[in-house]
Amino acid sequence: MALLEIKNLHARVGDKEILKGLSLTIEPGTVHAIMGPNGSGKSTLSNVIAGHPAYEVTAGEICFKGKNLLDMRTDERANEGVFLGFQYPVEIPGVSYAAFLKQALISKKKYFGEKPLDPVQFIKRLKVRAQALGISDDMLKRPVNVGFSGGEKKRLETLQMGFLEPDFCILDEMDSGLDIDALRVVGQGVSIMREPHRSFLLITHYQRLLDYIVPDVIHIMVDGRIVDTGDKSLALKLEEKGYADYK
Amino acid sequence: MRITNKTLMPAESVHEDVVDASGSYVIEVPEGARYEGVFLLKGETLKIAVHLTGKNAGCVLKIAYLSSTDLKNDIVCDVYHDAPETYSSQIVKGVLAENGTVDYHGVIHIPFNSQKCEGSQNHHAVLLSDEAKVTCVPELEIYADDVKCAHGSAIGALDEMQLFYLQSRGIDLKEAQKMLIHGFLSDLLPGSFEPQIADWMVKHA
Repeated sequence: MALLEIKNLHARVGDKEILKGLSLTIEPGTVHAIMGPNGSGKSTLSNVIAGHPAYEVTAGEICFKGKNLLDMRTDERANEGVFLGFQYPVEIPGVSYAAFLKQALISKKKYFGEKPLDPVQFIKRLKVRAQALGISDDMLKRPVNVGFSGGEKKRLETLQMGFLEPDFCILDEMDSGLDIDALRVVGQGVSIMREPHRSFLLITHYQRLLDYIVPDVIHIMVDGRIVDTGDKSLALKLEEKGYADYK
Repeated sequence: MRITNKTLMPAESVHEDVVDASGSYVIEVPEGARYEGVFLLKGETLKIAVHLTGKNAGCVLKIAYLSSTDLKNDIVCDVYHDAPETYSSQIVKGVLAENGTVDYHGVIHIPFNSQKCEGSQNHHAVLLSDEAKVTCVPELEIYADDVKCAHGSAIGALDEMQLFYLQSRGIDLKEAQKMLIHGFLSDLLPGSFEPQIADWMVKHA
C-alpha cells in the first residue's frame, strides 16, 4: 500500500484556484522531490496536506496509510504521522522550545492512549538529539523561533522532526536561508532518518539540497499540476535549462 | 473597595505583585524613587493614581486582566509627572472570553514645568470570542514641550499562523490556544501568578 496517495487534487485560497488536478503517489521508504517555478503551487500542496485552514480543497482526495486525510484535523494528521517542516518557522513569544516540544509529545502519547511522558527521560532524549544538530541547551530555553537565525530555525525544525518520528515528512524549502554548513547539518539530520517505513517530500528550487538528500523520484510542478516525473537526472537537466520546456 | 495610599522614601525602590487587585491605589514617588506594580484583575475595578514628585522618580505599571461571562474589568490609570525628568510606563494586557468586557482608561499628565519627562502606555487585548468587548482610551495630556511620550493599543484574535504551527505538531486547538495565552501573559506576570491564570483557563479558555 502506498504511504500517501493524492488523486486529482484541486485546492484554492479565497477565489484563486492553485492546485488544478494534482496526482501523486508516494511509497514507503522513498524520497521524492518537487521542483517548480515560483507560484506553481508547491507550498500550497504542503499546506493542504498538513491541513492549513486558509486552503480549501474543492475536489480530489488524499489517502494517508489508507485513511482519508482530508477528514482529519491538523493535529490528528500530525499525530497520524504527517510532519511539515516550515519554510518560515513561526515565532511564538512566551513559549519556550522545550515546553513546546514537551506538549507536542504529550499530545502524541494522549492520541495513541499511551502512558504519560516521563519528564526526566524527555529532557535526556531532547538534549542528546539537540546536541547532534549543534543546538545548545540555552536555545531550547528560548521562546519558539524568536530571535533565531535562519539556519538555527531550520536546525530546530529538523530537531522536531527527529523527535516526533513521523512517517511522512514534507520539507518546504528547507534550503532557503541556509549557508552550506547549515545545509550539510540539516541534510545529515534528514538522511539519518531514512527508514523503510518513512518517506520524504522535499520542496525545493535548487539542485544543491539534493546533493545532501538524494531523492528517488523528482517531480516537476507547473501551474498546479505535476507535469513531469523522473529520477535525479531530471534535476540536473533543470539546473541547465530552467523550466522553459514546461511552459 | 480597598484603598491603599503609599508614599515611597526618596531613592527607594518598591516592587509589588497584587493578585485580585480590585481597589484604589494612590502612590507617591519622590526624587530618585521607583515604583513597580504588577496587578492581575479578574472582573474587578482598579484605580491607580501615581504622582511622580521629584527628579528621576519613575513608575512601571503592569496590569493584566482576564475576562469572561459577565465579567467586567474597569481600569483607570492616572500618572502625574509633577516634576521634570520623571519617567513612567503602563503596560496593560488582557484576554477576553465569552461576553467579557474591559474598560481601560489611561492618562499621562505632564504639566507646563515638567520638561524632559518620558511616558508610555501600551495596551494589548486578545479576544477569544465575537461577543467580548474592549473599550480602550489611552490618553496623553501634555503641556510641556520637551517630552517623549508614546501610546498604542492592539486588539485582535489569537494569531492563526501560530495556532496552525502548534497544531501541525499534534497539539489540539484548545491546548494550542492555552499555550498562546500563557505565552502572551508570561512576559508581564511572574510565576507567582501561575495558579490564578491556570484556574481561569480551566474555566474559560
